[in-house]
Amino acid sequence: MAPITPFNASEITEKARRDLLQLLEGIRGKKNLVLQKSLAGPLNLLVKFSTLQEYGVDKPFFLENDNVDSSQRNIVFLVRGEKATTVSAVADQIKRVRRDSQIEHEFSIFWVPRRTTVSDQILEEAGVLGDASVSEWPLFFVPLADDVMSLELGDAVEDLYLRKDPTSVYIAAKALMLQQQKYGLFPRIIGKGDHGKRLADLLIRMRTEVAAGEVPNSAGPSFLGLTPSSMIDSLIIIDRDVDFPTALLTQLTYEGLIDEVFDITANQTEVDSSIVGAAAQPGQTGSASTSMKRKIMIDRKDELYSTLGDVNFAIVGNMLNKAARRLQSSTERNQLAAKTTSELRDFVAKLPGYQAEQASLKLHTALAEEIIKFTHSDIFTRSLEVQQNIMCGSDPTTQHDTITELINRDVPLPTILRLLCLESTTNAGMRPKDLEAFKRAIIQAYGPQHLLTLSSLEKMNLLHPRGGSGLGVTTPAAKPGSVTNYTPLRKSLRLWDDDVNEVAPNDISYAFSGYAPLSVRLIQSIIQKQTLANVVKPPSDPRAAAQANPLAQGLRIFDDATKYVRGATFDMRQSGEEKAVKARSMLNGSHNDASKTIVVFFVGGVTRAEIAALRFVGDKLKQVGGEGRGSRVVVCATNVITGGGLVGSAVEEGRFRM
Amino acid sequence: MSKPTANWEKLGDKFYRKVQLYTAIFDQDLELENYNVVGAPYSGAVAIYRDENKITAYRGAQASKASIDIYSCAGQLIRRIDWSKGTIKGLGWSDDEKLLVVTEDGTVRCYYDLQGDFVPFSLGHGAEDHLVQSCKFYGSGFVALLGNNNLISVTSYTEPRPKLLAIPPPDPIISWSIIPPAYSLSRSVEVILAIDQTLWVVDATEAEDRNFDAGPFRHISVSPRGEFLAFYTDDGKVWVVSGDWSDKLSEYDSKVKTVPKDMQWCGSNAVALAWEDEVHLIGPKSAATKFYYDAWIHLIPDVDGLRLLTNDVCEYLQKVPDESVDVFRLGSDTPAANLLEAASLLEQKSPKADDLIQLIRPSLAEAVETCIKAAAHEFSIHWQKSLLRAASFGKSVLDLYSSDDFVETCDTLRVLNAVRFYEIGLPISYEQYRRLTPEKLIERLTNRNEYLLALRIASYLQLPSANIHGHWAQQKVRVSTDTEEQICALIVKKLHGKPGISFEEIARAAYDEGRVRLATELLNYEPRAGKQVPLLLSMKEDNIALDKAIESGDTDLIFHVLHHLHRKLPLASFFRVINTRPVATALVESSALDSDRTLLKDLYYQDDRRLDGSNLLLTEAIAQPSLPPATDKLKLAAKYLADTRDPTAQFHRTALEDAAKLLRMQEQFDRDLLSSSPPTSASNLAASTSLVGLSLHDTIFHLLRQSHIKRAAKLHSEFKVPEKAFAWIKLRALVSARHWTELEDIAAKQKKSPIGFVPYFNEILAAGNQRVAALFVPKCAGGYAGVAVEERVEMWLKCGLVVQAGEEAFKAKDRALLEGVRAKAEGGAAVEVERLLGMLGSGKK
Repeated sequence: MAPITPFNASEITEKARRDLLQLLEGIRGKKNLVLQKSLAGPLNLLVKFSTLQEYGVDKPFFLENDNVDSSQRNIVFLVRGEKATTVSAVADQIKRVRRDSQIEHEFSIFWVPRRTTVSDQILEEAGVLGDASVSEWPLFFVPLADDVMSLELGDAVEDLYLRKDPTSVYIAAKALMLQQQKYGLFPRIIGKGDHGKRLADLLIRMRTEVAAGEVPNSAGPSFLGLTPSSMIDSLIIIDRDVDFPTALLTQLTYEGLIDEVFDITANQTEVDSSIVGAAAQPGQTGSASTSMKRKIMIDRKDELYSTLGDVNFAIVGNMLNKAARRLQSSTERNQLAAKTTSELRDFVAKLPGYQAEQASLKLHTALAEEIIKFTHSDIFTRSLEVQQNIMCGSDPTTQHDTITELINRDVPLPTILRLLCLESTTNAGMRPKDLEAFKRAIIQAYGPQHLLTLSSLEKMNLLHPRGGSGLGVTTPAAKPGSVTNYTPLRKSLRLWDDDVNEVAPNDISYAFSGYAPLSVRLIQSIIQKQTLANVVKPPSDPRAAAQANPLAQGLRIFDDATKYVRGATFDMRQSGEEKAVKARSMLNGSHNDASKTIVVFFVGGVTRAEIAALRFVGDKLKQVGGEGRGSRVVVCATNVITGGGLVGSAVEEGRFRM
Repeated sequence: MSKPTANWEKLGDKFYRKVQLYTAIFDQDLELENYNVVGAPYSGAVAIYRDENKITAYRGAQASKASIDIYSCAGQLIRRIDWSKGTIKGLGWSDDEKLLVVTEDGTVRCYYDLQGDFVPFSLGHGAEDHLVQSCKFYGSGFVALLGNNNLISVTSYTEPRPKLLAIPPPDPIISWSIIPPAYSLSRSVEVILAIDQTLWVVDATEAEDRNFDAGPFRHISVSPRGEFLAFYTDDGKVWVVSGDWSDKLSEYDSKVKTVPKDMQWCGSNAVALAWEDEVHLIGPKSAATKFYYDAWIHLIPDVDGLRLLTNDVCEYLQKVPDESVDVFRLGSDTPAANLLEAASLLEQKSPKADDLIQLIRPSLAEAVETCIKAAAHEFSIHWQKSLLRAASFGKSVLDLYSSDDFVETCDTLRVLNAVRFYEIGLPISYEQYRRLTPEKLIERLTNRNEYLLALRIASYLQLPSANIHGHWAQQKVRVSTDTEEQICALIVKKLHGKPGISFEEIARAAYDEGRVRLATELLNYEPRAGKQVPLLLSMKEDNIALDKAIESGDTDLIFHVLHHLHRKLPLASFFRVINTRPVATALVESSALDSDRTLLKDLYYQDDRRLDGSNLLLTEAIAQPSLPPATDKLKLAAKYLADTRDPTAQFHRTALEDAAKLLRMQEQFDRDLLSSSPPTSASNLAASTSLVGLSLHDTIFHLLRQSHIKRAAKLHSEFKVPEKAFAWIKLRALVSARHWTELEDIAAKQKKSPIGFVPYFNEILAAGNQRVAALFVPKCAGGYAGVAVEERVEMWLKCGLVVQAGEEAFKAKDRALLEGVRAKAEGGAAVEVERLLGMLGSGKK
């Protein structure tokens, strides 16, 4: 029996795929598919459009466009059912089609990921519940790579931090619970942040609920399902609001920058075809777009890209060069002359591979050139300078002139907001006087509608006046644990690395060219204590054994650090009956610690740079045989975000009209 | 013990057996001929109700009261459902022993347990007007025939969605039947209608004439798995056709003038015709056998056979399984028969036993297997034992044999014999048991309140027993006459901590029974918060329900409760309820933002959240399609914050007032500009894009771009735009409009700039005008925001003015710099730089 890997990407993909196709199969005949836009990305990742066509899908429509026609008798809606607005949109469209169409339609609704009572209520009130057959497509995790699972909840940030709507936490708990039921409980749940705590509590609660619920089968899995897993080391939960600055910073890894510049959704990005040329293979993305945009898969399966994605952008150019040279030398014609026929055969067999690599090389060279254009712009360097200065701990007020200038130069608002929020979140708020000046400047420069933007940012705790001395009115001083205090953390976790090495990274700080993301540092303080301890406080004697660092004892670094970080800290252990635990380890064979999986969950989104940093940590764990803990790090998140997206969820889109 | 073949009948080359299951079924007074008898699949319960078309003797008021009586196959009354709800036009069972009763007006009542509780639903599609004529049932659904020949199909009872099938011709239907979706070619239910001489097949999309002319067909019957269809013609013939209509398999002439009252399949191999007291069994190739009874006979078809029911007896008619034939057939010399013989010889201590065993030695394993299977199919306990003993004997002789089948069969037979016992009355056959599954069998026992047996079987077969306990507890709270405390204590004592127990269901049962206190008490033991919510809501424990919903973390549930509360409570108390619960408030806010702004406004007002209220008004203002209402809203928004002291709110108020002012001015400018500039000029095209809605900076930018300097200045002073900002806007505007002369003016006249002159240089250069950019290089020296020599040299170079760059370096007496310049210089410039270099060299010396 092959070893079972928990959080197995291909397994999750396959299950989601099968579930959907089964649902589609249940509807006889051709059907039109109405899709929520936010589901298009995940759907594309899971199922090829041609497969959907094999299963009778005739034409896809977007729910948001409200344009589904009556060309097919069967109309299938594939939408998320948590939000009342989307449910109403579905109800309205069913009513519209029913009213306008000549023929009688069969409506089916597949709620993602579950059918809700609210949706039933709304459909019933709209009088369409009786006409539609309702089922659910339990799509939770969408694997973006072998070690990255996202719930693809695009609204998670807005919901959690602006609207304080914990739906995504619940869905996350459900998703994790499904994995637990399959692979066993997380032996330990540890983490930081209020939403993280809620998620952990929910998991504990769900465990008792599942235990109390239906016993689905007397067969083995359900019995063993609720004992701690022998394959998973722990679940580490980090709440985004523990560490907003990391998300606000401009990511400097290649993948991160692609995300910053072109915006990646569900491993897919749209790039102007003038940059990368028109789509080479029409079948590549499924739907050929008529616009001048070309869809590109940002895919780890691409060999070249898998080496490029996580490195600092500074060295991407070099790597591309090298790849080009290697490719050229291996395909050079004059080399062929000297070859025997058998060598020639081998060579020909490899040709398609070379061609694919060539295409990929061409693509990435073009992308890199475009990104270089972006990174060489004055505005980019200016804002990066501000970011770096803030993160390394210099007085933020010295940066205000630059920010003001950027405002006056009419730089896109999100860039400005990122800088301001960065200052506010790293320094526990801004001086009220400065904040007001900036607010006024923003309203004058970008319009009065941004009063709402600023209010939203304050609600999200991204941009707020520093507690203590207000304008005459004394606001209560910030309570400990309500803000993250970076000043002590910079030292105790060594968040700033002056001699960063981007070419041959020796620390996660390479991902941001100096700044070591707090979120990842916290995770390191749990799974990679020894290394971190040595980074923070290099041993006086280099020959001293690595284990000797007293900082690495227990959870000392983690405990010390979390004092200064906002939100609740939690560390729970899930234990089971001893007999069951034994039985499980018997079944799965003895797993030594090194091959266990560590699951990291980001509530409220993870950036690609953080993923890169975590991969770096995971690789390091593997190299030295780990530190006696698991070595496979799986990153899960509610969604993948960028700083632009983070502040973007607060930005008011509307403006006054004539 | 009678021979096992005593009840066998030969039909063609096959044997059929009629197993007497129970005797003395019904009271002799019960005139079974006046009743419709419908049996549940898998030897389930039997429902009988009076056939309204038949005349009955008057027996006093008591007896004439209509009812549906549910009996076990052994004739034990399980439940009597008093009936006064109209004419029954269809009555049937589902696979999970739900009783469906369809009345003439199209109402369907689904009795989901055998206890008389039902869920009604309506057929719709005109059933009220045209009235239901008859219904045909299958395992998970049914089809109803209306007076206008419309057919309505129901495919699920949990979420019934009656659907109209294709419309057949309106001629009178002589008989009809259905092919269940599981066995039809189209995988959806198909209906076969006998109309006139021919047959029609109707499914969801089309009605098709099969072009038969042998009709009219009096009876149509579909074999249990849909592989054969049987038709009874007017002239007394039975036709059998394959399920795909391709082959006509046999034709049998009954030679009877009267049309039989029923025709059913017995398994998939034979068709039974029933007259009042006579049954013909017709096998393949028209072989037939006849049975005679002395009482009215009812046929109850099942998957692998046919139950025959009279007042006196319940019999099971089935094809003898092949294994049984092998073992028992007269003169059989199969290994299995020899094994059985050997076993009985062994019991008689005869040495011949060994001879026999040696004889069949080579095929002994097969013989053992056959005996085990034959035992499984056997109804008589005596023969079960003999066969198993034989199998056991045989397997003891074998060297290697896996006893799994043997053990399993023993287990199964123990269960089967227990439920076949007449007090339980489930004469389930082995085949049926395999199809029904043990879990469902336990469920049936539970529904019959046979808890002890159900529990014993569950533990015997190692199946979960939670449902049995749950059902028991529900029944307990319904019927027990103990005090509520006692009931609760008893239930908790027995069930607490057992996995899978739903206290919520028990509590609901208690609540439905009116025992509210007991319900509350029991609900506390439910570990799943989410489960408690709906019941709490119906118990009107709103606050607890909300708390439990929040506890569960399931936002859907919280929404559900909130929705409920919002509809039920007056607004003020609704707000009071959610006020103390932040999650609830957040969710109300979040959903109201999308759907119910008024509610949100009220909420903010109630909570005195001025800033949020004002922001909401601002959102509305932005959403206004035209200016006047937008400014009104803005004013309202500002007024909302009028008497707060909070600095943020004060800031917002000023900002809002400014916004209104800005909009007014923008509108004014728009009007002025439109009227002042002639519509032909090119600049007007740009001007015609309205200023309204632009930010202050953008407005100034546009004004400056179109050289409306005065107006821009007015905005500048009115809104106290910082000098630096204004300078930047001006620069950007001039550059974007390519007003080079103005820029040259600035270069010539302006001595100071709030932002220095480097930006001028950069912006102009970026716009591609090296000449004008060069004008600013000298201005970048010294003073505010001046730049170092090196950069100035660089700037000159960027403008392509190498000589000036050289001079700049020369002035600074920077040799290295100058050499750098020389490297870049060409032609005449190179000479010049060389000269400077020479001068510098000499100067230094």
